[in-house]
Amino acid sequence: MYQTSDIRKGLKVEMDGSPWVVVEFMFVKPGKGTAFTRTKFRNLLTGNVVERNIRTGDTLAPTDVEELEMAFLYSDDESFHFMNGEDYSQVAVPRAVVGDAWQWLKEEFIGRVMFYKGLPVSVEPPTFVELEVVQTDPGVRGNTATGTTKPATLSTGAVVQVPLFIDAGTWLKIDTRTGEYVERVKR
Amino acid sequence: MALAAIRRFLLDRCYLEVPTPVIVPSAALEEHLYPLCADGGLLRTAPEFALKRVIAAGLPRVYEIGPCFRGREAGPWHGSEFLMLEWYRAGAALEDLAREATDLIDAVAVALGRAPLRWEHTTVRALTLAACGVDVARASVADLSSHENDHTWDDAFFRRWVDSVEPTLRGALVVSGWPASQAALAAVRSDGDWPVARRFEIIVDGVELANAFEELVDGRELKQRFLQSNAARAAAGERPHPVDLDLIDAVGRMPPTSGIAVGVDRLVAVIEGWPGIARGRVPA
Repeated sequence: MYQTSDIRKGLKVEMDGSPWVVVEFMFVKPGKGTAFTRTKFRNLLTGNVVERNIRTGDTLAPTDVEELEMAFLYSDDESFHFMNGEDYSQVAVPRAVVGDAWQWLKEEFIGRVMFYKGLPVSVEPPTFVELEVVQTDPGVRGNTATGTTKPATLSTGAVVQVPLFIDAGTWLKIDTRTGEYVERVKR
Repeated sequence: MALAAIRRFLLDRCYLEVPTPVIVPSAALEEHLYPLCADGGLLRTAPEFALKRVIAAGLPRVYEIGPCFRGREAGPWHGSEFLMLEWYRAGAALEDLAREATDLIDAVAVALGRAPLRWEHTTVRALTLAACGVDVARASVADLSSHENDHTWDDAFFRRWVDSVEPTLRGALVVSGWPASQAALAAVRSDGDWPVARRFEIIVDGVELANAFEELVDGRELKQRFLQSNAARAAAGERPHPVDLDLIDAVGRMPPTSGIAVGVDRLVAVIEGWPGIARGRVPA
């Protein structure tokens, strides 16, 4: 069990049947009482943020959360399959858990897979990925209805907005946090 | 300018500045204060004990501004060392001291180029009722807190205060009507409804700046409080506070007196709008 003196940013705890991580904390002491640590937690499953006052003497339970860097192998109807580079074990992560990250996963890309009590609960793709444009209409300047970008489909199936000069066959660097085109890359 | 304003204010009201020892044989009475050690003695957590001996010796109005030390306190508004102002006035009722305290804080604000504060007088009962609908005069432990670690009324009250009431506090408040169980060295009276300590706190923008008491002048009662506090400390595995027999003797000879402690670092930080007290930023 953790004491209030163990509280630090990044500490993972189990509360109300869920895993949480400490994002912020502050010492608080009312005039004549014991000290409290006013702590902000983020839920590792839902992303919710809550604030709790933990009194010196209260304890926090550790949680069974593990994050592993795993290589994406392939996907099928139900899951995305990842491999642990160290022991070559594989895990099938359900599509629902992969969520929007499907857009940025090409074989051999490394994702951070978070496991809670042994089951995969989230996948984080690399922050930047390089993917090939497989389809895009030729850019026609002067088409003011669409502005200065056009949609392009990438090899994963994701669609991003790109500048008009981008053709099929071009490789792009994408920021997966925003889904935005960053720049063209030479391949 | 803050310190000069404080000294000028107190001098105008005939207070004598009396520096007292920082290394003392007994540094605190309260259960949750953790004194630091120095050279075979303890570093004072407040000048209170020494200044009360001065009052008992016959000086009617005294003050001290000096460093105080508290272990296990570190945060934006806490430090192991901080500057404390305490003043004591023989023959004063708590209400007189409240007026003087708000006037002094206004004087410091003006000296720092700000306007006097808009003071509101309220009670713990009123604040708690407004913040979360709980009436502390009638509340049971269960009404205050459902946490499994809260066994005593005080524990439950503090959790409720920190969770629900403190975050709502705004403006310049003079808060009286504290539960009798938290009287520390203050006298206790019944407010008609439930026993409260003769005590007020000054809380500005949610930060506790001052704590004032109509002082307990019964030496036997004071000794009891030391023993109770030490019993609780022993139960928690903490070293007992040395029982200050000189203080107990002095308190028995004190005239009715009211006294107040002000955190000077916090006072300046709150007036200036800083996000906390900072080591290296002096409240000059």
